[in-house]
Amino acid sequence: MTGAMTELKTETAKYVYGVIRAEGASPPKGAGIGDGPVGVVAHGSVAALTSDVPVDFTEAGREQLLAHSRVLEEAMQGSVVLPMRFGVVLPDERMVHERLLAPYGEELEAQLQAMDGKVEVTIKGIYNEEAVLREVVAENREIAGLKKAIEGKPEAATYYERIRLGELVEAALGERRAAAAPQIIDRLAPLAVDVRVGEPVHERMAVNASFLVERTRLDEFDRVVDQIGAEQAGRIQLKYTGPLPPHSFVELGVGV
Amino acid sequence: MATAMQQQPYRGGSGYVARSSSSGLYDVLELILDKGLVIDVFVRVSLIGIEILTIDARIVIASVDTYLRFAEAVNRLDLMSTETQGLPELMDGITEGGASKKTQGVLQGAKEALFGDEDEEEDEKEKEPATTQRRSSSTTTKRRRATSGSSSGSSRRRSKGS
Repeated sequence: MTGAMTELKTETAKYVYGVIRAEGASPPKGAGIGDGPVGVVAHGSVAALTSDVPVDFTEAGREQLLAHSRVLEEAMQGSVVLPMRFGVVLPDERMVHERLLAPYGEELEAQLQAMDGKVEVTIKGIYNEEAVLREVVAENREIAGLKKAIEGKPEAATYYERIRLGELVEAALGERRAAAAPQIIDRLAPLAVDVRVGEPVHERMAVNASFLVERTRLDEFDRVVDQIGAEQAGRIQLKYTGPLPPHSFVELGVGV
Repeated sequence: MATAMQQQPYRGGSGYVARSSSSGLYDVLELILDKGLVIDVFVRVSLIGIEILTIDARIVIASVDTYLRFAEAVNRLDLMSTETQGLPELMDGITEGGASKKTQGVLQGAKEALFGDEDEEEDEKEKEPATTQRRSSSTTTKRRRATSGSSSGSSRRRSKGS
């Protein structure tokens, strides 16, 4: 029993938030997941931001997600940071070297260089439902006709007509979404280094895109976002999130 | 454009764009769960509910139910042309329909686990479409303990798609 107890290893593992440059690296002062301090594990020119978590760490609640995001946000104030996806845990510090920093060292270094001075901004556009439905009715004769035919009639008597109407509306909204997204993205893309276009998350979402923007061009980018927002007022509400670490623009190759 | 704003660092002047930084969890959720560096074998956090939230929320399923709601929404347009204040209710209806009945229960559960019962942001969006919703971080970083559905002991691997 006592022998077995002393055999037990440390009961913590290393949670990894992201990768920074080793030179001049200092960990964020804010607490990490579980309120523990965030430290730096350096290896050559790259370093991982880590903190201790219980070996059986499996929690992914609001607190943990926020902590992950806060650590990265603070780190990006100081310098370039490559964010890890939420939930990367290595057994101990040695494994941080062996599984992450050593095998991927060159790749990480190259990405740090590529991401230096750049931030991610996500732009989502949400339709004003009433406004877009009015447009659809005004511009689609079949929809307008069906709508008229149904008006004033009891629901039970128009069941199939109403399904047909809804189907047409749904399709028209889909077309509108497909047309709106490039219009907005094409205005912003020239001001960005890179763009990732995501799928709409729900039917009212017109645009969902991430832009990699030079910090020095952020003002310019923001102005154009506001211009588009003003032009689309009452029709598409733009949502701007950022500046963020470049989540959508980093990736590790397979291998090792 | 705005003239007074152009002297200082530009932080948004038109009031038509809703802004938030990473302190607004809802906005960065998709990014921190789905994007970023990952070493496959070591991603072992169990993301019960959350995984479903991020993945299934993307699938917009068109169903009879959705169609009927759209039809109703369109038919109500005339009633509202004089009193546009009826909009929030309409939008609530649409949003529910759009999310599809199948995923709704799960989504709601995951959302509650993550954001508590006040999903301020979504509420704001529903109530004041097309107006300013600049939020100070103090309102969005309100921390609530996430308990239900997020702390199961079972672990599951999320692989990056081999």
